[in-house]
Amino acid sequence: MSWIPFKIGQPRKQIVSKTVERDFEREYEKLQKLEEQTKKLHKDMKKSTEADLAMSKAAVKISGDLLSNPLCEQDQAFLESMNALDTAMKRMDAFNQEKVNQIQKTVIDPLKKYSNVFPSLNMAVKRREQALQDYKRLQSKVEKYEEKEKTGPIMVKLHQAREELKPVREDFEAKNKQLLDEMPKFYNSRIDYFQPSFEALIRAQVVYFTEMHNIFTDLTDQIDQGGLTDEQRKQENEAKLNELRALSIVADD
Amino acid sequence: MANSLKANVTLKAKKEIREEKEGAREMDDTLDEPAEEEDDEEERKARAAARERAAQRQLMTIEELVQTERNYLKHLHLCTVTIHSNLQKLQPPPPNLENMFQHIDEVMDVSSRLLSLLDQTQIHHSDPKYLETLCDSFLSLSQDIEMAYKEYLANYNNITALENSYKQKEALWVEMVRIVKSSAPDVNASTLSFFLVMPVQRIARYPLLLQTIQKHTDPGHPAYPLLEHTAHTAVQINCRINEYKRFREVADKYKKTENLTIKDKINRLSGHSIAKKTARFSQYIKHETGMVPKLKDEEFDALAGFFFVLERGVSELHDNLEAYLHHLQRFLRCRPEEADLDLEGEKTALFSKEITVALRQWIYPSYEERLKTLVFKPLSSLQELMAGPRNLIRKRQDKLLDYELIEEKSNLSFEEQAIANTYKTMNTLLLTELPQFNGKALQILWASLEAFSALQRDLAADMEQLATSFTHQLPHSYLEDGEFWKWAETSVLEGSRRMESLCQSVQDELNAPIVQALNTVCEQRLKALTAKHGSEKIFQLTGPVVGTRDLDLTLNKGELVAVISEMDTRGDRRRWLVDAGGPRGYVPASKLARYHQITSDPPQSPHLNVIPSGPGPRRHSYTPGAQPLLTTTTPCFQVYAGYDFTARSAHEVSLRAGEQVRVVEPHDKRGNKDWSLVEARGQRGYVPSNYLAILPSVIASPTFPYR
Repeated sequence: MSWIPFKIGQPRKQIVSKTVERDFEREYEKLQKLEEQTKKLHKDMKKSTEADLAMSKAAVKISGDLLSNPLCEQDQAFLESMNALDTAMKRMDAFNQEKVNQIQKTVIDPLKKYSNVFPSLNMAVKRREQALQDYKRLQSKVEKYEEKEKTGPIMVKLHQAREELKPVREDFEAKNKQLLDEMPKFYNSRIDYFQPSFEALIRAQVVYFTEMHNIFTDLTDQIDQGGLTDEQRKQENEAKLNELRALSIVADD
Repeated sequence: MANSLKANVTLKAKKEIREEKEGAREMDDTLDEPAEEEDDEEERKARAAARERAAQRQLMTIEELVQTERNYLKHLHLCTVTIHSNLQKLQPPPPNLENMFQHIDEVMDVSSRLLSLLDQTQIHHSDPKYLETLCDSFLSLSQDIEMAYKEYLANYNNITALENSYKQKEALWVEMVRIVKSSAPDVNASTLSFFLVMPVQRIARYPLLLQTIQKHTDPGHPAYPLLEHTAHTAVQINCRINEYKRFREVADKYKKTENLTIKDKINRLSGHSIAKKTARFSQYIKHETGMVPKLKDEEFDALAGFFFVLERGVSELHDNLEAYLHHLQRFLRCRPEEADLDLEGEKTALFSKEITVALRQWIYPSYEERLKTLVFKPLSSLQELMAGPRNLIRKRQDKLLDYELIEEKSNLSFEEQAIANTYKTMNTLLLTELPQFNGKALQILWASLEAFSALQRDLAADMEQLATSFTHQLPHSYLEDGEFWKWAETSVLEGSRRMESLCQSVQDELNAPIVQALNTVCEQRLKALTAKHGSEKIFQLTGPVVGTRDLDLTLNKGELVAVISEMDTRGDRRRWLVDAGGPRGYVPASKLARYHQITSDPPQSPHLNVIPSGPGPRRHSYTPGAQPLLTTTTPCFQVYAGYDFTARSAHEVSLRAGEQVRVVEPHDKRGNKDWSLVEARGQRGYVPSNYLAILPSVIASPTFPYR
């Protein structure tokens, strides 16, 4: 091709008005922040449920190991209480697992699905930007030819440049309009989308903690009839430890 | 005085900022590019707008705090005065009705004092000094707030229990609901607890409101440190109220008469009673400790055995608790409540956030603290103390071996005597003190397990109370559990379907072929490649590629290629072998998109009187509805050569781009419109029709309507 190579410059004519561009940027910024925060919430919820499950399993191990300790063989009362503790822990773990399953289905998975839309949107914004650059480049080209002397070859090239410009301009305008439409719509969709998740999260916690409360009230009634305050417990522990320390067989390092 | 000074400072700061802006603007005027000055101006405006938004949200939250306090007090008043008096008129009146309204007067009093402090000040809400007043008022009342809510919350369980007892009596309950509804027609309430739960929620709301205000307040704001302190105080108040609540629960329960508790039974356990069950036990000990019991040492072995079993139990429990605490701390480190999805107005999201904030800022932290103090630390100390007896038991074993050697002798040397004495002393000491040790250690173990259970119960009670307090404000709380989860799962499924379809539609847009004006060279290549490989193999470059390896091609965006193989010689499917209309080589598959030729119509012939209705334009790309808008009213067109063309046979004629030609026939001898017979520079011959451009002959006028 015998095109004279020329610089890809900025077109003189303002292609997109500053207001429109600013509106676009503002909407896109909102989306970017929403993307960041949704990802953060998803990560935190995942980590938090992992730790929650680990806690519950650790609690079951506590009672399991105690139950398998020979002390239980020794004493009927100890055995009964460790049985009760173990049953309580296992039941709590089962409820916890259920709670986590519900949260996984109604909160964590939806968060992921919502996040999955962003890469496509980001790509669409990138493509719009590319289309804008192409548009500006071709617009520049046309303007350059428009300035030149109106000879035959120039006119032909001008005509061709204009033909080249048209579909690119239309493509950009279509992309621009689509995004200006879609971005706010998607942003606002978050309210309705997440409402069930939050309600489910609250409900799951209500169910779990109600059960946990019942289970441990029964257990505590069975094994902890002293009903001491924290201060009293601390004092008793300290007293017993001191009695032990007073024994000669206890090392005094 | 200090206040006016602060105001002066803020005013001065504002003036400085304005002057700075003006100065910057002056500087910008001297620059050539007016566009850049506009950009800076835009940036400044955007930042100012963001500050404005933060200030607005801060103001909104401040007003929300005040407004909700007012509403809250109004509702409490409605309940304690109107509803209360109406309930008293019932015949017979509900039993113990007065107990429902215990302690609420103090709560209402402190709330109205807070409001009057806020109303007294003449400052308007939007004045920065108002925030200072708000914080000062709250802090000055913080002790009274704590006292009032402390009692109320400690007593709240009695209120729920009492209301439940009313629910059992159907006739009474129906009447009570009727009265509540008629006394408060504007409120969507049907129970007393709807109102009476409000203080429980209100006290937990203060930290969240204050933290939200803090979030939208610039750290440079003069009242920021004070605000931070106030928010922190609000959290501390909640912690202490919870502690007090627990204290009272325990104290109230202690009034039960004491039976022989399991604890007492454990206390009776001692080394001697264990030794009595030797037969089975010593077998067990053998297994557990690997010690071979000798007959006369049965008692000792039983004691030692018990000690080791206890030690193992304590050690295991200690390690398990450590693991538990580790996961608890991990749990607390995650802070999902900090994610901001811009849902501040949404009720359900707000309630969920309040629960999470309370959970992470005082409920679980104080659980962790109690766990450490009442369970973990005593066990740690106990574990340490076990080292002494353990070592001593081992030493005694060694001494025993020595002793056994000289035991039978009648005449012992001085040294042998010493060995015998050492052994006997150790043995006696251990026999005396081990039972005490074992007993007390077991009690400590027991106490920590009791505490562990009680802590779980308390944690669950706190969380249950908090989470349940929101239930009647949630839209779907009337649904039974099974139905609720069905609803939740269906909604979530619907939502995800919507997201998937949105994703899909965006993807479809992205995958649409690229709009590209085809020039002649491209068209030629397209023809050649299609003829050689078939149109299904034609692909287009979605972006430029630069060859890095042998046999890689370097091509521009938009170039057309035909795919020969969808993988390279090593089977890598990401590198495709293509024909670029001459050169052959590899390009990344990710940069290729199928090229659609929607019409295979030949290019338009350069007739005069062009009618702008033809099928697709000369470009074979996807521009729906794009038509070449050539005006047709005046057929004053001139045909030019669009590109250079070199004649390859006697029938063809060469063209120079831009020269005028005359079309003799717009097709060849066989009627094929791809070629036109033209006259150029006095010569006649065939040229490709699409190398010709039709332009209006009035080329002097640049304003000719081209578009």
